[in-house]
Amino acid sequence: MLKYLTKRILRSFLTLAIIITIVFVLMRQMPIEGYFDNFDKLTEEQIQVGLKGMGLLDPMPIQVADFFRQLLQGDLGLSRRYRANVPVAEILSTKIPVSVKLGCLSILVSLVVGLPMGTFMARYKGKWFDRLGTLFIVFIQAVPAAVYFLFIQLYGSVWLKVPLLFDPSKPACWILPVFSMSLGNIAYYGMWLRRYMVDESTKDYVKLATAKGLSQNKIMVRHIFRNAFVPMIQYLPTSFLNTVIGSIYIESLYSIPGMGGLLVDVIKKHDNNMVQAIVLLYATVGVIGLLLGDILMTIIDPRISLGGKGGGR
Amino acid sequence: MWSVKNKMSEKLESSVEEQFRQQTGQRTEEELFSLAGASAEEQERTGYSNYSYWRSTLQAFGKNRVAVFLVFVIVGILLFTFIQPLLPGQHDPNMVNNDSSGMQYRNVPPGSQFWFGTNSIGQDLWARIWAGTRNSLFIGFAVAGIEAFIGIVAGVLWGYVRKLDALFTEIYNVLDNIPQTIVLILISYILKPGVKTLIFAMCLTGWIQMARFIRNQVLMLRDREYNLASRCVGTPTGKVVLRNLLPYLVSVIMLRMALSIPGAIGSEVFVTYIGLGLPLSIPSLGNLINEGRALMMSESLRYQLLFPTLIVSVVTISFYIIGNAFSDAADPKNHV
Amino acid sequence: MKRRVLSLMLSVVMMASVLAGCGSDDGTGSSTPAGGTQTESQGGEDQKEGQAAGGELNLLYSSEVSTLNYLKTSSISEMGIPANTIDTLVETDNKGNLVPALATEWSQDGLVWTFKLREGVKWVDHTGAEVAEVTAQDFVDAMKYQLTPEYEAANVRNFFGVIANAEAYYMGQIGTDEDGNTYDPIDFSEVGVKALDSYTLEYTLAGEVPYFLSSLVYVTYMPAYGPLLEEKGASFATAADSMYYCGAYYLSVYEPQVRQVLTRNPLYWDAEHVYITSINSVYNAEKATLAPEMVKRGEIDEASIGADILDDWLAGEQTRELVSKERPSTDVSYFYCFNFNPTFGEEYEPENWKKAVNNENFRQAVMAAMNRRNPMAINEPNTPEQYIQNTITPATFTMNASGVDYVELETFQEIVGKDSFDETAAVSYRDAAKTELEAEEVTFPVKMLVKYNPGVSNWDKECAVLEQQIEGVLGSDFIDIIVEAGPSESFLTVRREGNYAFMKCNWGADYADPETWTDPFYQAEGSDGYKYAFLRTAISENTAAADTVQEYFGLVESAKAITADAQKDERYDAFARAEAYLIDHALVIPYGISVSDYIATKLNVFEGQYASCGTVPNLRYKGHHLMDHFVSLEEYNKNLENE
Repeated sequence: MLKYLTKRILRSFLTLAIIITIVFVLMRQMPIEGYFDNFDKLTEEQIQVGLKGMGLLDPMPIQVADFFRQLLQGDLGLSRRYRANVPVAEILSTKIPVSVKLGCLSILVSLVVGLPMGTFMARYKGKWFDRLGTLFIVFIQAVPAAVYFLFIQLYGSVWLKVPLLFDPSKPACWILPVFSMSLGNIAYYGMWLRRYMVDESTKDYVKLATAKGLSQNKIMVRHIFRNAFVPMIQYLPTSFLNTVIGSIYIESLYSIPGMGGLLVDVIKKHDNNMVQAIVLLYATVGVIGLLLGDILMTIIDPRISLGGKGGGR
Repeated sequence: MWSVKNKMSEKLESSVEEQFRQQTGQRTEEELFSLAGASAEEQERTGYSNYSYWRSTLQAFGKNRVAVFLVFVIVGILLFTFIQPLLPGQHDPNMVNNDSSGMQYRNVPPGSQFWFGTNSIGQDLWARIWAGTRNSLFIGFAVAGIEAFIGIVAGVLWGYVRKLDALFTEIYNVLDNIPQTIVLILISYILKPGVKTLIFAMCLTGWIQMARFIRNQVLMLRDREYNLASRCVGTPTGKVVLRNLLPYLVSVIMLRMALSIPGAIGSEVFVTYIGLGLPLSIPSLGNLINEGRALMMSESLRYQLLFPTLIVSVVTISFYIIGNAFSDAADPKNHV
Repeated sequence: MKRRVLSLMLSVVMMASVLAGCGSDDGTGSSTPAGGTQTESQGGEDQKEGQAAGGELNLLYSSEVSTLNYLKTSSISEMGIPANTIDTLVETDNKGNLVPALATEWSQDGLVWTFKLREGVKWVDHTGAEVAEVTAQDFVDAMKYQLTPEYEAANVRNFFGVIANAEAYYMGQIGTDEDGNTYDPIDFSEVGVKALDSYTLEYTLAGEVPYFLSSLVYVTYMPAYGPLLEEKGASFATAADSMYYCGAYYLSVYEPQVRQVLTRNPLYWDAEHVYITSINSVYNAEKATLAPEMVKRGEIDEASIGADILDDWLAGEQTRELVSKERPSTDVSYFYCFNFNPTFGEEYEPENWKKAVNNENFRQAVMAAMNRRNPMAINEPNTPEQYIQNTITPATFTMNASGVDYVELETFQEIVGKDSFDETAAVSYRDAAKTELEAEEVTFPVKMLVKYNPGVSNWDKECAVLEQQIEGVLGSDFIDIIVEAGPSESFLTVRREGNYAFMKCNWGADYADPETWTDPFYQAEGSDGYKYAFLRTAISENTAAADTVQEYFGLVESAKAITADAQKDERYDAFARAEAYLIDHALVIPYGISVSDYIATKLNVFEGQYASCGTVPNLRYKGHHLMDHFVSLEEYNKNLENE
């Protein structure tokens, strides 16, 4: 296991390098006018000076090498068009905490609400609670988030008597964004947990447990939940990390200065250094998420093995 | 298959028992101890079950009235999107309707002339919504189908063949981390905006999610005892996958696919939101919702948001419930 | 409002693409309702009814600036802060007349302009604390900064051919240009800008520049504190504390994508005419959707009311009184270009298009068939006529020496007097074109590729309306209009590469002289110019339109040759003849000026500084009072009449 992990972590670095190189090359396929605010009125010379200043005139391999050399020194470079000449690291360091805070809160809410909801729905399958829960899940799945977020903001702010926009100093202002952001995950956790638990509950070991006279609640929690949670656990780290990355809709609507939408923004502005830094960040987060998911899965279900042992083919 | 076999052997046992009971009912000793005899016909009957997996699945599915009803709803919507333009008195979805003074009918509320009203340049929303539904459903089916096909093939290989695990994990990590926005923007420079381009762009990176889902499922089942047993007796890999793994996964795959159709519609809404969606001349639920969204703050114009949202909701709910019902039905343990 | 920042924003320069942002950016703010709070009353005497002394203006903005560095940027959206925090040598009044600001008097002697600076003007930092005095050297240092290639000043070309030796100094640092010409480095002291003493500034021009004084209101001629430029270099003005201010306001808070606060500068030389005490702008990416609602709730003081919700607002009992409009602007003109050098794909038959577009009757047919009211009505449903222009140069843009509006000159009489839309004429042009083109083996329908930027709101709709309308008049067996979306990012490539047949383009005035409106179309021999319609291709390929284009270029060249101040009328007449020729021969179809957005605002938009070009004065809050109510259309029209 340990050997496997070491190998895998080492390989993750390679993966990151491949990702960032591909993104690096892709960004440089875009039309050069995107690098300038006022391309139309610039002279050829100015454009050349500008491109040279960004190092875009060098052959691609040299650009890539320069980039990695900088990166190894821990330098993410300067932003160009998002906030001209401000270090990328400085920009990100103000934005990440905001999204992380919001994301953590919303994940917490989703888990606290979503897991019990899924469990109860499975426990009382076909009863009114299950139906109510299904209705909720269906509603959240069905109505586009872009639409119901707006409704929550519009009417929620009247109901709670808070301003439309987010104000970090007022605790009440956190309610709507966190709540909106959790809805999707609550439905997601609830839905899949119910599905897996229902699937599990027809299995033989459940029949055995019932036959042994264990109480339904005990079977639910000790046996079914644990087994049903295996496929879920794999997604948890990723979904956690994704939420932390920020929500473009929520942050746009409430004026929350986080990471949501930042990537789209900087891609549109051709801010290469920003794009690279963010992709690197997201990719790291994604790779770690996948790894954690796999590890968690093997911990919870010892039958699953990742290493070399077992009937290899 | 494992569970199916299991059930068959249960049936076999019970019929032996029954025979025994019937026999014990007869009191005479002679009869009690007479040879049962071996009728070839009898043996045939006991070893035979008229169980068919798909028939049972359909039967089980048929019991869920709501789901069956929703299948009709979806089929109905789908058919209607094709029938609607043929009905009399329909407007062209892209036609700008002008009044007698030559100016556009702007934002006309729903009424007898325009059933769902018009948008800000006088296009008939009734026609646009059906044309949009047609386009969006097409996108949804196409994306779900393509992703499922590539995803299942890749996912099984990824999960089952250990040697490929590292390679696929690498591909996954790479594909999953290249922002879709970059891909979309680059594609928008190279290809003309349109339905095909959008499907292409969505599938380009989307299949890997399906693959990962399948891979995880396969990973959980791969080393279960019955598969080990299969391998031990030398069942070829292909057969293990097709006979042992996939049937077990049908229920989750169906649910996943059913959800990925509305998922594709949803991501079209998102792509439109960030400004890379379909052009005005190709109506879709995505651009209709985004247009309507901008008007949401004005109550009297909300009808422009209401109708497309309603369609998206109905479609999503239908697929969700159908998917779940089918997934329940496809689970052999629920077949009686 | 000035703060139409937005709409104006980008436009100055480029294609409509830029304009896109319309509406999307003004700021809004926190929650204190501003109207009526009697905070400080420095400007109390000028108060009129309904105006509050002082007050905070709360805004919402949706496009964050990428830099505060006014010596670098050329995007209008980034000039809002400098316009309010940095003063210029001269400024304008609310009618557009130039009045003294940092310079109290000036004189011209041939190519040499001498400015006497106001004494005692202070630089302050982001806390409002005094740093130093504004001196002539600050103007010199600012120009030197812009002429340094590594600082990437986007407007540097504005100095070339205007300030003596600016280009030579700049190119001298680069060494060689595109064509391989080499330049020797020269000393900065040879550049035509000098501080004779602390309060005397001298500019030496490279040649006659009739519009020099009016160009001084632009960001390029703003001062910057020399020692700070020296210290910060490329990171000058990347944050509120890395720049100093000498304008009506200083930037006290700058949290990108969160908020910006402009606070009234108590040390400002003209503080008595600054009434609003602070301008709080809060960032919101969904401004277009949220701002109108926030106005209704009283959380902000300004929002643009898009054409799609306008009817609803005008019909609403409570909202009707809240709606007024932006001040009409004349610094951007829109027109439809025919592309003479198509590069689009074979499926749209570029060769076929080329033959068609070189046929004058074909172009005339399109021009006569096009009812500009229809697309214009999408953004201005009520009075579209008001924004349609029959000339490229907008009305009231500039006047000749005798005080006649340029577009009212004799030459334009016929063009301005009638609507080019004429179905009967269109049909007869079409028939003539058909006969002529059939002889050239042109296939019908002629495919006309029209592109739009999906990032610009409503442009797609304009195209849809236009397609139906023109095809309706000319018949779809004659012309097949194909509307296609271009990329929403870097849309300019479409026009610059000639990847369209017919498209709405725009141009913003760089200076107050009719020459600026020939820039997009005129292409000097061997140059692509600004790559608008590629008219020169007709000459180089000697097509049917070659003579027409040659004639137009000739008219432009002879007009440009008239530079003496005393010959202003002749110069204007000559430019008018060129422009009239361009339109008469349907080389370009004039469309209109930017539609004044409907807005809800507590400002009287006619109160602030105004300029027909240069943009900076239009962005200033100086001179504005914050009302205790939103201006209604009725009040707006009254204000408009009073102008």
